[in-house]
Amino acid sequence: MTLAKRVGVLFFWVLLVLVTAVVTAAIKQRSADGPNRVFSGGALVSGELYQGPEPDWSFVNSIPTIEMQLLDPEQSRRVWTASANGKIYVWSGYMNSTVGKLWKSWPAQAVQDGRAVFRVNGVRYERQLVRLTSGAGLESLMAMVNEKYASRATPAAIDSGDVWMFEARPRARSAEQTPAGDPS
Amino acid sequence: MSRLFPRALAVIAVTAASVWFIPGLDDGVELAFQLVVLLASR
Repeated sequence: MTLAKRVGVLFFWVLLVLVTAVVTAAIKQRSADGPNRVFSGGALVSGELYQGPEPDWSFVNSIPTIEMQLLDPEQSRRVWTASANGKIYVWSGYMNSTVGKLWKSWPAQAVQDGRAVFRVNGVRYERQLVRLTSGAGLESLMAMVNEKYASRATPAAIDSGDVWMFEARPRARSAEQTPAGDPS
Repeated sequence: MSRLFPRALAVIAVTAASVWFIPGLDDGVELAFQLVVLLASR
């Protein structure tokens, strides 16, 4: 067996082990209580369910990421978040890129059914994700996003659809009956 | 060459069982994957 062939065989086995390990870890995480680092998790189960007046969400500006679960499908992931004027927002970038279209499925799922659960500091909050398709009036939010994550997001990126911005509103019965995307 | 397929299946089974059942191994795999993605995206 030539040296090149030996190296090729070794590469095959190492690659097989690595791919199997990553796929297994990702599948295992799907049944866990929440996401871990980058792999999606299952439903957010643990943690007190918040019941009370709408909080001032500005405290999330000091938290790197939060856990977010959609109700349909029941999958959770770790997302960036920011608050402006006491409201909480989550978003997904690179939505006009090929990678974004292939990889990021939750934004489209959230438009279909915006019911979500956030878990922040071990407390769960029921929310309703409403997509904002215009960046007008979101200058202070985008300034906070850029300060927090050292990004260069602009309201124009929301207008162009490259960033899908969602306001996470309180989830009430009336909100559940409101069609996704309807800000009323 | 004829034994390649069963050998590959055995490797997949042992690797998957190890990641699934050994505590902390799945987290280590995910951390390594995260680092690879971060480096590749730079």
